[in-house]
Amino acid sequence: MELLIQQLFNGLTIGSVYSLVALGLTLVYGILHIPNFAHGALYMVGAYVTLTMMVQGGFHYLLAIVISILVVGLISVLMERVVFHPLRDSTPIQHKVAAIGVLLFLEALAHYIWGADYQQMPTPYGQVVKVFDLTFTMQRILIVVTAIVVMILLYLFLKKTYTGATIIAMSQNREGAYLVGINANKVAMLTFFIAGALAAIGASLTSPINLVFPSMGHLVILKAFVIIIIGGMGSVPGAILGGYILGFSESLGATYLFSDYKDLIAFVLLVIILTVKPQGIFAKGGV
Amino acid sequence: MKKRMYLFLISLLVAVFTLAACAQTDDTGGETPSEQPDGDSSSEQPDSTDSGSGGDSSDKPAQTVNIGYSGPLSGPAAYYGENTLTGLELAVEEINEEGFEVDGQLYNINLVALDDKYLPNETAANAKRLVQEHKTPIIFTPHSGGIFALQVFNEQDNFIIGAYSSEPAITEAGNSLTVRIPPSYAGYIEPFTTYAMERFGNKIAALPTNSQYGKDWTEALLPYWEDQGGEVVYNSSIDFAKDTDFFTILTNALEDDPDVLFIGGPSQPTAMVAKQARELGFEGGFIVMDQAKLDEMTAVTGSYEALEGSIGVMPLIEADYPGTPAFVEKYKAAHDKNPGSEAGLHYISMYVFIEAMKAAGSVDDPAAIYAQMQTGLDNLPEDKRVYEIPMIDEKGGFVADLSVAAVEDGKVVPIPVE
Repeated sequence: MELLIQQLFNGLTIGSVYSLVALGLTLVYGILHIPNFAHGALYMVGAYVTLTMMVQGGFHYLLAIVISILVVGLISVLMERVVFHPLRDSTPIQHKVAAIGVLLFLEALAHYIWGADYQQMPTPYGQVVKVFDLTFTMQRILIVVTAIVVMILLYLFLKKTYTGATIIAMSQNREGAYLVGINANKVAMLTFFIAGALAAIGASLTSPINLVFPSMGHLVILKAFVIIIIGGMGSVPGAILGGYILGFSESLGATYLFSDYKDLIAFVLLVIILTVKPQGIFAKGGV
Repeated sequence: MKKRMYLFLISLLVAVFTLAACAQTDDTGGETPSEQPDGDSSSEQPDSTDSGSGGDSSDKPAQTVNIGYSGPLSGPAAYYGENTLTGLELAVEEINEEGFEVDGQLYNINLVALDDKYLPNETAANAKRLVQEHKTPIIFTPHSGGIFALQVFNEQDNFIIGAYSSEPAITEAGNSLTVRIPPSYAGYIEPFTTYAMERFGNKIAALPTNSQYGKDWTEALLPYWEDQGGEVVYNSSIDFAKDTDFFTILTNALEDDPDVLFIGGPSQPTAMVAKQARELGFEGGFIVMDQAKLDEMTAVTGSYEALEGSIGVMPLIEADYPGTPAFVEKYKAAHDKNPGSEAGLHYISMYVFIEAMKAAGSVDDPAAIYAQMQTGLDNLPEDKRVYEIPMIDEKGGFVADLSVAAVEDGKVVPIPVE
C-alpha cells in the first residue's frame, strides 16, 4: 500500500513537470501549428538562467525563477520574431527545419557559455519529509503545488481574461480571429512568451532533483510531444491530462509491470489512444 | 479529416525523427575538425620533410608528429570527452616545451582532436581522416564502441589505438595494435563484493547505467555476488539520457530492503541516484562502477557523508604515486578543477607512447612503437608516474595495481587488493 502511494506521488511529481512543458508546446502548436522542437532547448536555458542567477547572482531560488521566466520568455518571443514570423507564409516543413535549427543553436550556445559539465542546482527546499513510511522532499511538494497553481492560473487567464480569449480565438479559427480584429502578431508573441515562461518554470523546479547540462532538454521534449499527441494537439486540458497519464504510467508501470520497458508502456498507450481517438483525447481548439 | 490524420502522422514521424536526430545532432560543429588550439602552436614549426638520420639535432629544425584523438566533445558525453582530452593536452604541452628526440631528430607533437559525439561510426570516419590527412601513428579514443569500430581496420591502415576503456573484450579479440590504457574492470569484482558483503550484508539491488558497458559490468558482478552466497533482490538499469527523476526506480529497488546498491554511470548523475536513495531512507552501502569517481560524486552530494559505505575506484587526487601531486597541481592551474583518472591516465599514456617511440627509433612505424611499449613503461620518468603501471600484457592491456577505495566515517580510505 505504501509502495502504491509512494509511486503515485512520484508519478504526480514527474507528471507535473511533463504537463508544464507540454502546455507550452501545445499552446504554440494551437496558435501557429508549429511543432516547436526548440522548446526543449528553452527548458534547458531556463534551468541555466536560474542556476546562474542563484550561484553567481546570489539571488534567492524563487527570485531566480522569476528572472528566468522573464529571460526565457523574451528569448522565446525573440525566436518567434526572428525565426517563425518571417517564415509565416512558407510551408510547414520550413518551420520544422527552423525549429530544429534553433534547438541546435541554443544547445551549442549553452555548451559554449556554461560548458559541458553536469551542474547541480542548490535548493533551499531540500528537506526530507517523512509521513508514515512515505518519503517526500519539500522540493517535490513544491513541484506539485506550483505546477497545479500555474495550471489553474493559466486556465483562468485563458478563460476569464480578454487577452486570454484572443489566444483561444486564434487557435480555434485563425481567419475568424483576423476578421474580428485580433492582432495576430501580438497574440503570437504573447503565446511564445507564455510557452517560454512555462518551460522556465518546469526546468527550474525539476533541476534540483536532477542535474543541469546542455542536453537536458531531451529528457522532456520527446515525452512532451507524446503528451500533446495523446491529449490532442493544441489542447490545453489535453496537455495537462496527458502529462499526468504519462507520469503515472511511468511510475506505476515500472512498479507493477516491468521497469526496463517503462517507456514501452507510454508508447503502447499512445498507440491505443490514437487507435480509439485519432485526434487525441481532446479535439483541438477547445479549452 | 483525412488531412488531419495526415498531419498527425507527419507530426509523429517528425517526433520520431527528432528522437533520432537528438541522439546524433547534439553537436553542430561535427563537420569541422576541432583542432585544439594548444596543439596547434606546434604546427607553426617548419614541417621539414628532411628526415634526419643521426647527427646532432640541436641545429636542425624540429619536426612534427601528429597524434590523433577522437572522442565525444559535444553532446551528452562531452564532459567525459573533455576530461580525457585535457589529460592529453597537458602532456603534449609539457613535451613540446623541449621537444623530444628520436634517432637524433628533434620532434614536437601536434595533437589533432576530432569530435565523434560518442558514435562509433563517427569514430571510424574520424580515424580514416586522421590517418589519411594527418598520418597519425596513434589514435586515442575513449569509448569501447569507438574502439571496436577502429579495430576493424586499424591493422590495415596501420595505426595504434590508444584505447581508453576498461572493457576487457577490447584486448581479448587479439588486435595487434591496440593498447588498453585503464585496468580491466574484472579485477574490481572480487574486492568490491567482499567488502560490501562483509560490511553491509548479502542483499544487493543493481541500478547501473543502461549502456553496454554498464550491462557488461552488471553481468560480471551479479553472478559473482550470487556465487559468494549473496542474493540479488532487484536488477534494472537507469537510462541517464531519458530518466528525469530516479525516485520511481529507487522506490522499487528499495522495496526489498537491499543492503547494498550497485550504481554507476557518469559521476554526477550516479551521485544523484545515491543522494536520492539516501532521501528515501536507504542506509546500506554502494558499489560504485569504475566509470563514476567518488571525488566527482561529492560535487553533487556535498560531502562524503552521503556516500558512506561506498566502494569504488580510488580518486586520483587521493592517490600517492610519485608523479601524482605535481600532475594534480598542474592540472588544477590549467583547468581550475581536480583531475580525474581519465585525465591522469591519458597524460601518462602519452608519455609512455613517446618513450616507446624513442626506444623504437621511429615516430611513424606503429608496429615498431607497439613492440617497445614495455620499454616505454620502464623508461617513464619518475615524476611522470601519475599511476604505477609496471607492465603491459601480451594482449596489449596495461596492467596496473588496482587502487580501490572506500568511504569510511566520511573519509576516503584505501582498500588493499591482492
